Amino acid sequence: MRKCLDARKSVVGGIALALALTGCAGSGNSGNSSDQTGPRTLTVWLMNGSAPQPLTDALHKEFQETHKDVTVKYEVQQWNGIQDKLTTALAGNDAPDVIEIGNTQAPKFAAAKVLTDLTEASSGFNKDQWLGSLKDSGSWDGKQFAVPFYAANRLVLYRKDMFEQAGVAAVPTSRQEWLDAISKLRAKFGADPEFQALYLPGQNWYTLLSFIYDEGGDIAKRDGTKFTATLDSAQAKAGLEFYKTLQEASGTKAPKDTDEQTPEQAGIFGQGKVAMMIALPWELATAAKNNPGLTAQTSAFPIPSKNSGATAPVFQGGSNLAVPAYSKDQDLAKDYLKLLSGAKYQSQFAKAGMIPGTSTDVAALEADPVNAAMAKASRNGRAVPATPTWGAIEAGQNPLKDMLTAYLTGAKTIGVATADANSALNKAFAG
Amino acid sequence: MTATVDTVSPAAAPPRAARPHRRPAGRVAPYLMLAPAVVILIALLGWPALQVLGISFRRLDLGELVRGEVAWIGLENYRAVLSDPEFWVIGLRTLVFTAACVVATVLIGLGIAVLMRHLDGFVRVALQLALVLAWATPIIATTTVFQWMFDQRYGILNKTLVALGFDGFAGHSWFGSGASTMTVIGLLILWQAVPFVAFTLYAGLLSASKELYEAASIDGAGPWQSFRTVSWPAVRPLLTMVAFLSVLWDFKVFTQVWAIKQGGPDGDSTTLPVLLYLKGISGSHFGVAAAIAVLMLLILVAVTWRYLRLLTRSPETEL
Repeated sequence: MRKCLDARKSVVGGIALALALTGCAGSGNSGNSSDQTGPRTLTVWLMNGSAPQPLTDALHKEFQETHKDVTVKYEVQQWNGIQDKLTTALAGNDAPDVIEIGNTQAPKFAAAKVLTDLTEASSGFNKDQWLGSLKDSGSWDGKQFAVPFYAANRLVLYRKDMFEQAGVAAVPTSRQEWLDAISKLRAKFGADPEFQALYLPGQNWYTLLSFIYDEGGDIAKRDGTKFTATLDSAQAKAGLEFYKTLQEASGTKAPKDTDEQTPEQAGIFGQGKVAMMIALPWELATAAKNNPGLTAQTSAFPIPSKNSGATAPVFQGGSNLAVPAYSKDQDLAKDYLKLLSGAKYQSQFAKAGMIPGTSTDVAALEADPVNAAMAKASRNGRAVPATPTWGAIEAGQNPLKDMLTAYLTGAKTIGVATADANSALNKAFAG
Repeated sequence: MTATVDTVSPAAAPPRAARPHRRPAGRVAPYLMLAPAVVILIALLGWPALQVLGISFRRLDLGELVRGEVAWIGLENYRAVLSDPEFWVIGLRTLVFTAACVVATVLIGLGIAVLMRHLDGFVRVALQLALVLAWATPIIATTTVFQWMFDQRYGILNKTLVALGFDGFAGHSWFGSGASTMTVIGLLILWQAVPFVAFTLYAGLLSASKELYEAASIDGAGPWQSFRTVSWPAVRPLLTMVAFLSVLWDFKVFTQVWAIKQGGPDGDSTTLPVLLYLKGISGSHFGVAAAIAVLMLLILVAVTWRYLRLLTRSPETEL
């Protein structure tokens, strides 16, 4: 609507002519709007803490230079309450033209038919190099509704000094080596009652996903748009069993009924009595806030696989970019995505410590040892089931967390725990 | 005597006395003065309530909301909610939880009120300060403190129990089962609800003058008898009111339940407000959520029917 008004002001002639030119009378059809003249505005919503400012500044400068009379209206949104804000914004006449959405939100909006189908346009967005996990989470019913933006995955942060003192020469590259390193660490430092070789709370379900994937299992299998939970499979059980093995071997004092954020694991790592934690790269900065020496003492390795030498597949969290169906400047939005998905801007994500969504070039991550470990694991990234209901599962009552706690505390046997979680998940999939 | 009577009688009494001398224009004036408040109340409370009722007869998921579609489906949402056995389990749980919270809140509140009446000077002020502080602390802050106290590894409760020789509580999970989780949530609600009830009942007790107690004791009444004959009549109407208010508050409490364990483990501490949130906000089934909201309202009306009737029949009635 705002765009229509702007155009009306500038076009000399009758209002009818202006309306015809801007396509206001009809729907927001991308075909017509490319004919229009006069200044236009491309509204872009990115999330707080996503694209670094130098990147967006350069990007918007270049976009405005190559698109005469177009102004990019760039708005940074807060994660808190974004779902409600998007819901109302996507419905209105004033829908933004490009939005960043969390990777679990894309199927929800796509299924509600409020995102533009980008399947055809994708070839212009560097599609050959897309990150698989984000591609999956941006698709619904065989069509692509969201374009990968950036992602991150968990890795094992470890204390180099402690490893050295305990005589662990090389970083573990298999589950067995990982367990061996833990026993060496406990043998060396175990006298200190505060020491934890690995901090692992009971509900770190992202880590559990790695183990399940590594066994060849998954949370659910897809049939078209329908998902069926597969937590009762032998592979999922094997993954859950290894979680318990690791948890018991680790000597962790973490609660079994909370996740890694309660209490925040970075704070506990920061106290200096923990040799390892499974975390995102930037949690090191949080840990080092009260313990500045930690940064130099800490490095990282990918979550080891049960197959020696390989890395375990990892859950990748991140963001996608989408074009709302009611956007009135879809042609511009697609041009914008094309520019942003190019190697030039994608490489800046790697520099900022994130895995670029549309470029396989992760060389810039190698400079930092922690980011390098993430880059190494990144090609083996996976996504949670791309169903409209997943967001609610993650934000609400997550059966995976209940399953972990029940099994680890011994409240349920592995058979009962996985069967219960499986039926809870199937119920949640049904919405 | 009571808060209800005090607020109502002055407003009702003057027009009755003045009416014979009023001209017609004067009779309209009070209504005109009331009008802004009534209009605002209708706009802010009545309209949304009607909206909720309307939405409960519609299919309104994310898609319908965003596309602005209106799809009437009659009683389908109600059928879906009522035919789900989970709703009945959760509904019963919510009622039991509410009843337990209300009874405990009112009893402890009454006990503290009587205690305050008998305490003097510094000790009473200290108790009152403690109550005010417990009441004034933000809900989420208290909830976080409770989470820490009951924490499996780092919680002070388990550490204290172990120090006292109960070794079985080392690493005991207070949030391991629904019943245990609900108990912790109930304690948390109690902690936050008791101060208001205690102060309200204390105010009622203050209205019974010390002389009455003296007279009672001269007549040879023991503590129990003087409570029954002097304190009880003074406090009874207020007790009914705070019990009624507590039912309303405890039935629809959401923040604490959600913050403690999101209605877990395995959904075993889910109450009706949590179910409403899961269906509506998390699951974007706004029609189903609206139906749950309407059902909750009906349950509340049924539970508080007696009090509502007393309230509407005549404000001057002793409750």
